[in-house]
Amino acid sequence: MPIQQRGLNARNWLGFLPFLLFCLAFEFVPIIFLFRGSFLDKTTHQFTTNHFLSLAKPLFLNSFWNSIKISGLSAIIGVIVGTGIGYAIYRWPSEQFRHALIALSDVTTNFAGAPLAFAFIIILGMNGVITQFLLKYFQYKLYPKFSIYSFSGLLLAYIYFQLPLMVLIIIPAFAGIRKEWEESAKSLGANTFMFWWRIGLPILTPSLLAGLTLLFANAFGAYATAYTLVESQLSLVTLQIGYMIAGEVRHDPGIGMAMAVMSLLIMGLSIGIYQVASLRARRWLRS
Amino acid sequence: MEKNNIVAPLSKSKNKRKPALWQIILIFIFLFYMLVPILSTYIFSVATRWDRTILPEGLTLNSYARAFKASYFNSSLRNSMILSLSTVFVSLCLIIPTVYWVHIRFPAAKSFLEVLMILPFGIPTVVLALALVQAYNVTPIGRTPFLLIGAVFIYSMPFMYRPVANALRAIDAHTLTEAGQSLGATTFQILMKVIIPNIFPGIISGSLLVFATVFAEFTLTKLIIGARFKTFPLLLVEYTRINGNVAAAFSVISFTIAWLVSLLILWVSRKGQGASAEALRAR
Repeated sequence: MPIQQRGLNARNWLGFLPFLLFCLAFEFVPIIFLFRGSFLDKTTHQFTTNHFLSLAKPLFLNSFWNSIKISGLSAIIGVIVGTGIGYAIYRWPSEQFRHALIALSDVTTNFAGAPLAFAFIIILGMNGVITQFLLKYFQYKLYPKFSIYSFSGLLLAYIYFQLPLMVLIIIPAFAGIRKEWEESAKSLGANTFMFWWRIGLPILTPSLLAGLTLLFANAFGAYATAYTLVESQLSLVTLQIGYMIAGEVRHDPGIGMAMAVMSLLIMGLSIGIYQVASLRARRWLRS
Repeated sequence: MEKNNIVAPLSKSKNKRKPALWQIILIFIFLFYMLVPILSTYIFSVATRWDRTILPEGLTLNSYARAFKASYFNSSLRNSMILSLSTVFVSLCLIIPTVYWVHIRFPAAKSFLEVLMILPFGIPTVVLALALVQAYNVTPIGRTPFLLIGAVFIYSMPFMYRPVANALRAIDAHTLTEAGQSLGATTFQILMKVIIPNIFPGIISGSLLVFATVFAEFTLTKLIIGARFKTFPLLLVEYTRINGNVAAAFSVISFTIAWLVSLLILWVSRKGQGASAEALRAR
């Protein structure tokens, strides 16, 4: 590379600087402040771990538990069902229809937030279309056992954007399993189950792990859907942090920062695993 | 997050098979799950009353009339436009030169740039909002649209980066740059007159993605500024608690914008690649 000016490191950084400054100003410095604030006592300005210790209160523990539960469940369901649907799409004979389904996944995975939450109220709310349908034709009363404004309702809404995301992640992984491998395995006496267990699954594993972690992070950080649907009915970490910023509840801001730091760690861990897994998955992808 | 060539390998199997029963069932469930909520919203927005019967009791465009007349309708659309377009502008000015610079002059920083572009996915939007509000509260830009633009820029930058970086990787930027240099052009001239026209489809895709993401953005807007800068998504959420039909009309408008942007991106890229395989947040 003749253009690359070796030794002029400072000049190289110069072109990078405006962007880096923007990231520092609106991302890194505020987050460093956040970490600092979470360990700082408001009045004495001394180091303290009290904010983190206060997170042991039932309200906050419950929020973390709910957030982890809904992210984990929606991610597991998303991975299992999404992989099945992904395979069904991948093996579908008509190419046009496959393209259409992939495009649909692409759009629907972005349909989240308030419009999605409201769409679920329309179909599964107290007088929703499906609620009515079940009542009229099957004499089945959805309410009060089920409610769209509850954990199970929010789970349905989250799965809506998790499924297509998993479909988009897993289809390239299926494309990486070559036909010849299946043929050679069969010629050596393997049956379909053995092929998938010994060859297919190990190739898919990094993509499945990448999907699981990405879907988990996707749900854990979600706010708008939950805010519209379950605002006061269910306590989630993101909702709690939101209340504190809006000043709707009076807590020590340090506790909000401690919650934020904890959720950063959880999200950082899952995105970290995602990154490693998707790098491994890429080895099998045909380019 | 990586754009993969999803489609090319699939097109190889051109034998005329019929789909198996399990495939039909799974795809039916998928289509049902994905389409029913959206279609119901569209129908609900033109229904007179739809809470006692399976099908709407009548059809009307009243909710649209009421939606257009809603007190904050025009100002919220204007605010959303201002926010989205300024973010696209900031994103174009910062991301394109940086990606080009790193590609040509500073390949050593490439993996660093990649990490910077992954990071926003690991930061929940509420956490970013809290961090920014706490850090800037005492400054003049605390809780202003300027802070919000900075926030949504961070949050949407991977959507600009990915298509632009992919487009740049697909052309021979080094040869083009050398050719430009041998003719005496400056780096800035090469970027403006040679590189940008060559990666234009990627720039358009990135801009549309950023536009759509920011237009639908709710969390940062609500938590950083709130009611003083009401954008379209904020108005929508407000109406889900006031009037269902009007809220449905607003939802239809936002769904339609998302469809249109996706179609435009598909049309621009024309490679059948997903509009946003890397799109993963905004919840």
